[in-house]
Amino acid sequence: MTNEQGKDTRLVLRIGHLYPQLMSVAADRGNLFAIVKRCKWRGIKTAIDQIFVKQTPDFTQYDLILFHGGADREMEVAARDLQAKAPSLREAAEANTVFLAVCAGYQLLGHSYKPFEGPELKGVGILDLHTEGGSTRFMTHIAIECEFPECGKQVLVGYENHSGRTYLGPGAQPLGRVLAGWGNNGKDGYEGAVYKNVFGTYLHGPVLPKNPWFTDLLITRALARRYGQVELPPLDDSTEQEAHAAAFKLAMAFKGTVSAIDATPWRERLSPGSASRSL
Amino acid sequence: MQQHRPSPVISQGPNQSESRGSRWLRPKKGRPEAKPGSVTGAARAGQRSRRRRLSLRAALAVISGRAAGALSRRLRLGGGTSIVGLVAQRLYPDIIRHLAAQLEHGSVLVTGTNGKTTTSGFLAAILRDAGLRVWRNREGANLLRGVAGALVVRALPSGNLRRAGQAISVFEIDEAVMPQAVRLLEPRAAVFINLFRDQLDRYGEVESVAALWRQMVKGLPETTTLVLNADDPTTASLGELARGPVLYFGLEDLTLDLSGQDGQGTAGTYQAVDSRSCVRCGSDYRYSARFYSHMGHYQCPHCGLERPAPTVRALQVRQDTFDRLRVTVETPTQLGEIVIPLPGLYNVYNALAAIAVAQALGISWEPIVSGIEQFKPAFGRGERVQVAGRTLRLLLAKNPTGLNEVLRTLFSEGTPRHMLFVLNDNIADGRDVSWIWDVDFERAQGLTASLTVAGTRAFDLALRLKYAGFAPEEMTIIPSTPLRALEELIGSQPRGRKGRGRGRARHQQQQPDAVAAKTSTKVSPAAEEGAASPQERATPFPGYGLATALERAIEQTPVGETLFIVPTYTGLLELHRELERRGLTPHYWEGRD
Repeated sequence: MTNEQGKDTRLVLRIGHLYPQLMSVAADRGNLFAIVKRCKWRGIKTAIDQIFVKQTPDFTQYDLILFHGGADREMEVAARDLQAKAPSLREAAEANTVFLAVCAGYQLLGHSYKPFEGPELKGVGILDLHTEGGSTRFMTHIAIECEFPECGKQVLVGYENHSGRTYLGPGAQPLGRVLAGWGNNGKDGYEGAVYKNVFGTYLHGPVLPKNPWFTDLLITRALARRYGQVELPPLDDSTEQEAHAAAFKLAMAFKGTVSAIDATPWRERLSPGSASRSL
Repeated sequence: MQQHRPSPVISQGPNQSESRGSRWLRPKKGRPEAKPGSVTGAARAGQRSRRRRLSLRAALAVISGRAAGALSRRLRLGGGTSIVGLVAQRLYPDIIRHLAAQLEHGSVLVTGTNGKTTTSGFLAAILRDAGLRVWRNREGANLLRGVAGALVVRALPSGNLRRAGQAISVFEIDEAVMPQAVRLLEPRAAVFINLFRDQLDRYGEVESVAALWRQMVKGLPETTTLVLNADDPTTASLGELARGPVLYFGLEDLTLDLSGQDGQGTAGTYQAVDSRSCVRCGSDYRYSARFYSHMGHYQCPHCGLERPAPTVRALQVRQDTFDRLRVTVETPTQLGEIVIPLPGLYNVYNALAAIAVAQALGISWEPIVSGIEQFKPAFGRGERVQVAGRTLRLLLAKNPTGLNEVLRTLFSEGTPRHMLFVLNDNIADGRDVSWIWDVDFERAQGLTASLTVAGTRAFDLALRLKYAGFAPEEMTIIPSTPLRALEELIGSQPRGRKGRGRGRARHQQQQPDAVAAKTSTKVSPAAEEGAASPQERATPFPGYGLATALERAIEQTPVGETLFIVPTYTGLLELHRELERRGLTPHYWEGRD
């Protein structure tokens, strides 16, 4: 069933995957898998371009651009390279191309990233926000509540792992309200950013597979650019919903903890073996 | 970014106070000692009383630690070596140094992301065959308390080691604990097998572990031989910083090169490669051969940094059967063939590492060959267990590279396999399970004769498999009980954390269980039972998921066939306990060492 292709709709979604190798720290390639499969199951073709350092394609040709997380060192390389790509990326954002930017990718779509130690990195400036490195790292389960005209109130679940504190300017809307976890900066109660069709978030997990409503929102908006409003046929999302529900429970259970690992009861930390007794 | 580890429960102890007193406790020749000439008579008397005091302290630590261990076993809290070490270290933070200094042949430390247990196993087997008495820490007990425990259980109430003559210790050490371990043990050899991405939520980034290692290597004494993997750029680069001798090991069989073949995952997406850019200048490495992940023959096109030529080399690797690898090994003094009785290319590296250490220690060739060829794998490293006419084979996989290699080993020949995957997110596994999306499960698609998915995060794994092309109908999904995480928070709050999040957790618990109710894929009846109402699920859980999962997976494997079980770390421990309950494996604290 899962390998079945939906009836060909003759629609093609053009995807640009930025730095597929350099920026791929937390298995965020799962986002690409989610988009590709959910298109395939509905008979929508996908054409993926991988975009590496030193390449400067015309980004307005893409319906959807993915830009994922990376460690500090990789982020520096990307930030340097990004300046050459920035004008075309900005043009694409203004032309309603859909962006999904995660973690370091999200930070680099803002104006700047000032690490806790080291020089400031310049971003693309598509999202009106800036990020500062913090001394502690938020590493825990997260759930946020979002609201979009297409789907009303919905919950996004994932795992955050960042020391950056992101502050939005007036030009960006938060992606959602934090239900559990820390989000942009741990203070204002918001997570992520939205500007036109540009979505930035700290959510790993990866974010799309467990949040099929969000994947479908991105696909719909990406298709709308060239095909107008396309009604996506529903899929059997029971596996997705189960994983979503499990992740939501975890997020609520670990609410208030900076690190899911530090929040673990002493007995389990004493020896990993004793953990399973309490299962 | 800053390196991030949870502060282990007892980490305060050993470090601050270790420098005091330690130099008085070095009876061994060739080790730095306090200069006797510089001390006055009074000082010498003080020294003597101090030494007496420390011996007393060591004795007290040994007695208390062992008593705590006995109590822990009695109460069935666990194997007890960690608690032994923990208590002993509390009473005498320098206990490791005190006891280790008595080992006649010193210590060897083994670290790396994957392969610590197997490499130290190979090495221990070789050293035993060479006539030495080998002491190891228990697998997984690779923090300092595990090392302390391993020494304390072999100490007398006098605070001295039993039978320290002819003794050598081989300790596997957690990557992040290496700096402290090296300071306390001053090893004769330190082995770095590899560095992969593992538990980002625990270690922060791969780079932070690498930075820690670099710092540590700079401070190593000249008497420590570094044994490094030439094919792993980050690990190999440590050699430049060493003051003492360095030995490299690596693969030379270019037929194992994967570049262009399946270096890339499905849909042109990249496989987990955790070290891509030059440690010296930051440019991307160029590989003339790549064996897996970032292991291979690399060179930096910008600054010219390249793979060092290994001194212990595998010239040819041939697979006789699934778990018989015939390897031609060349060292500066030997050229010979060795059969490794384990599956997977990663075990060739583990064997090479052990051979390199053995050579560094001056061990002759015969025990090297016999040690490796007669090696009995540790639990979960390819070990075979017979159950009801089926063979179970357990292959631990705890990170993307490890799991990718296990899948490659299992599915490269296109043989359909019966599979049971166990994905847990306990502390030792890492709370964040996103790494499964870096695993190329696509490789196994269409090749599973039966497929059972279990563990605390079974649903996440089922979802990953669905997007790898498996139909939900072909999976038997048996989760642990869905409210597990809440139980943990309610049931055993750490001291000093009381109240934090408690009310919320309780509130949560009263909500109906959405996961169990909405389940529409194939979930076994037993699992549904396990996920019954929250009240019934109060401590302890009636039949947790893994026993059921194992049962179902065995049922789906015809008699005479093999069931491959691939668990994460705590999944492996659970399985072990389950098999132990059925009388199929020994208690894990009754290990062989």
